[in-house]
Formats: sequence, C-alpha cells, structure tokens
Amino acid sequence: MKAFLERMDTEPDTQPDAPNTQTQTQATKPERRTTEEEAESESQRIDTLLAGYLTLLDEYTALRTDLTALQARIFQDLARANFAGAAERGVRHYGRDYYDERMQAGRRVHVRIPVQGSGGNGLSGDGGRNKTKRERETTSPIGLEEDVAARRVNSRSDGVNGEERRGGEEGGGWNGPVFSVEVYPPPGGEEGQESENSVEQPEGKEFSADEEGSSGARGKEINAINGGGEQDGSLTTSETDDDDVKRKPKPKPADPLRWFGILTPLPLRQAQSNAIRAVEEIIPRLATLSAKMAGVELEVRRARKRRAKAEKAEERRLAELGDKMAKVNVAA
Amino acid sequence: MASQADSRDRQFLAVIGDEDSVTGLLLAGIGHVTAPPDNQKNFLVVDDKTDNAAIEAAFERFTTERKDIGIVLINQHIADRIRNRVDTYTQAFPTVLEIPSKDHPYDPEKDSVLRRVRRLFGE
Repeated sequence: MKAFLERMDTEPDTQPDAPNTQTQTQATKPERRTTEEEAESESQRIDTLLAGYLTLLDEYTALRTDLTALQARIFQDLARANFAGAAERGVRHYGRDYYDERMQAGRRVHVRIPVQGSGGNGLSGDGGRNKTKRERETTSPIGLEEDVAARRVNSRSDGVNGEERRGGEEGGGWNGPVFSVEVYPPPGGEEGQESENSVEQPEGKEFSADEEGSSGARGKEINAINGGGEQDGSLTTSETDDDDVKRKPKPKPADPLRWFGILTPLPLRQAQSNAIRAVEEIIPRLATLSAKMAGVELEVRRARKRRAKAEKAEERRLAELGDKMAKVNVAA
Repeated sequence: MASQADSRDRQFLAVIGDEDSVTGLLLAGIGHVTAPPDNQKNFLVVDDKTDNAAIEAAFERFTTERKDIGIVLINQHIADRIRNRVDTYTQAFPTVLEIPSKDHPYDPEKDSVLRRVRRLFGE
C-alpha cells in the first residue's frame, strides 16, 4: 500500500513511461523522509528533555524536603531561644526589635553564567547553546551536573552521534545561571578578590561620598604602620595605596548574633547555623534548579512546536496524495 | 553580555516573610541596608497588619526596581496573598523561591515551580 502511495505521489496525470516514474520516486523519497523523520526526531528530543526534566524535578522536591526540615528546625530553635530568653534574660522576643538598622550582608549571592554561549534557553536573552560545556562542568555546584558531565564524557567517545545525544541528555543545552551564596568578604582574600572588586563597584560609589576622605587617610595611615613593605616589592607605592584603599573600606560585617546581645542562648546559635546551611547549601541550588527547569520547559515547548509543524506538513502531504489517488481512480 | 553584567551585580538575597522566617534568615547574614539617604532594606517583615499593597510593593521593588537582588525568598502563605503577581512573574533575575513558614507548612500544590511543571505536562 505504502509503495503504491509513493508511486501515486510521483505519478503525473498523463501516463508516463516506466523508467521516468522510477527516477521521480527516488527524487521525492528524501523529502517525505524529512517531514516524517523530523517529527520523529523531535518526539525523541522531547522525550529526552522530559526525562532530564524529571530528574531535575526529583532533585527539586528532595531539596524542598530538606529546606522544609531545616526551616522547621530553625523555627524550633527560635522558639526555644525565646523561651530561654524570656525566662533567663528578660528578652521578650528575638525578633525585629533587635535588628541592626545598618546591617551589612555577610553572605552574598554569586551568579555565574558561562561566558561564551550564555542563555541558550532564552533565560538571559542571548542566543547559542551547547558551547561552554567544559566551563559548566567546572563551575556548577550541583551534584546532578556531575552525573550529566560523566554521561557527557561517555557520549564524547561515541563520536558524532554522541554530540547529538549530549544535547538531549543535559536537558536542552543548559547555559543559564548558576547561583551560589558565599561569605562576604571572602575569607581567603585572594581568591575571588578580583570579582569582588568588580561586583562592589556600585556600592563603592555609594560609600565614596562620605568615606572618600577618611578611607584615603586611613589607607595611608595603615600603609605607614605596615611600612608599606608587606606587599610585593614589584608594586609601586601608589598601587599599594590603591590596594589598601580598596580593601580597607570593606570591614567584616558584624555577626547578626551580636544584635541580640553578647551572651546569646545556645538555641539561637543553633538556629543561626541551620539558617546558614539553608542559605549556603539549599537555597542557591533550588534557585539554580528553578532556572534550569524553566530553561528545559522552554526547550520542550519549542520542540513541541517544531513537531507540530512537521506533523502538519506530513498531514498536508498525505491529503494531497489522497486527492491524487482519487483522481487516478476516477480516471481508471 | 548584558545579562552577565546584570547578574554580576545581583549579590543580595531578599526576604518577604513573617518575623521568625526573616529573623532566621537574617541570622545567616543576608540582611543588608543600603547607605543613606536611601536606607533600603532587603527584607520585609509581614504581620497581620501588613496589607497586600505593601507586600506587592515590596515584591515589585525587589524584583523590578532593585538591580542588586539575586534571589527573592517569600513565605508561601504571603505569596498566596499576591498569588497572581507571583505566578505571572517570569523574569530570569531575580529568582523567586517560596519558602515555608512556621504556621503554614509548605504546600507543593501552591508552589509556583511545581505549578509550572503541571502546566508543562498538562499541555
């Protein structure tokens, strides 16, 4: 039946000679395959995307459970602290009455986006995808990425076919943002100093109005105390001055526990350590996963649209074939 | 490239929540008040007296006006009060996450990410 349909598709209205028909059949065969195969490959792509999406969803729900448990512990600790505070210290409630009105963030968000092919899923507006896999492997803190990276290494050995499979396996060529929350200022000092400086520029401007004079003087003072000799000998004095000026206006933010007094109850400290865990480990991963899932959703929708288009083209082609068949039948 | 520069400046977490949720998160050191004269806080403590307009304004400020917020955390029961605004939020930055509170446990049915999941599979 299929062969007959193919012949009917290529057969002209007037009866041609046999060899001519055969060559025409061969010419139209690839065209038919493209629409059919396109729809099929899109379906496969959607399946792989959805499989990856479900893995992300699984991780998301697991992290959600962790966050819920951790927050329950924080609330419990706070309640215990309030109870202890009321009984021993006369503190009514560890809450907003004690917040420092000049608080500075001691933990800050870092958003990393791979440099070359950012925003492959349309999250950040740039085009391109599947370009900076190696970078993503190194920067992403998510454990799942390691699995994907491992699978990617395996697929690399497959050669050209591996390339195609890789795109599907990573859930649509993820190039989006990777969130992390880190201590500020960084404890090591050297690592990430460059990025910190660049990040801090806007805020530095804010402070510059009232701190410019004092910080400059302070920088010179400190330089004089240190004898200016602790820096690398190759640096000029102006460079060391600049370094000091850049570094010194960033004192370590006060520990929020101090807002509540010097001797804080143990449950409050426990609440703090649990909150730090939530903020450093779970929340940035949830944010990354949310962005990642949004990217895959976009990819799936696009693939569905492409498949629908291909299916429509196929239907149209079949309808045309049907018309031609009817004409031939009438002629017969 | 623009997005990269944009994301680099987004260095704070913002919180809209009840007092205990905000206190817990501020204990972790995420609280920040900008330099005078703005004195903008990156958190909002919501209680029974806080009206929806104030919550919505804070949400708007953290997600649209301020360019230094990377992640917005909002208690789920508070997000419910401005549900339409939260569900229609589609920007990549900042990311909005709903978190449980003391009196209102986390409900996956209401979570905006899981709603997206349902929409994807329900299409």
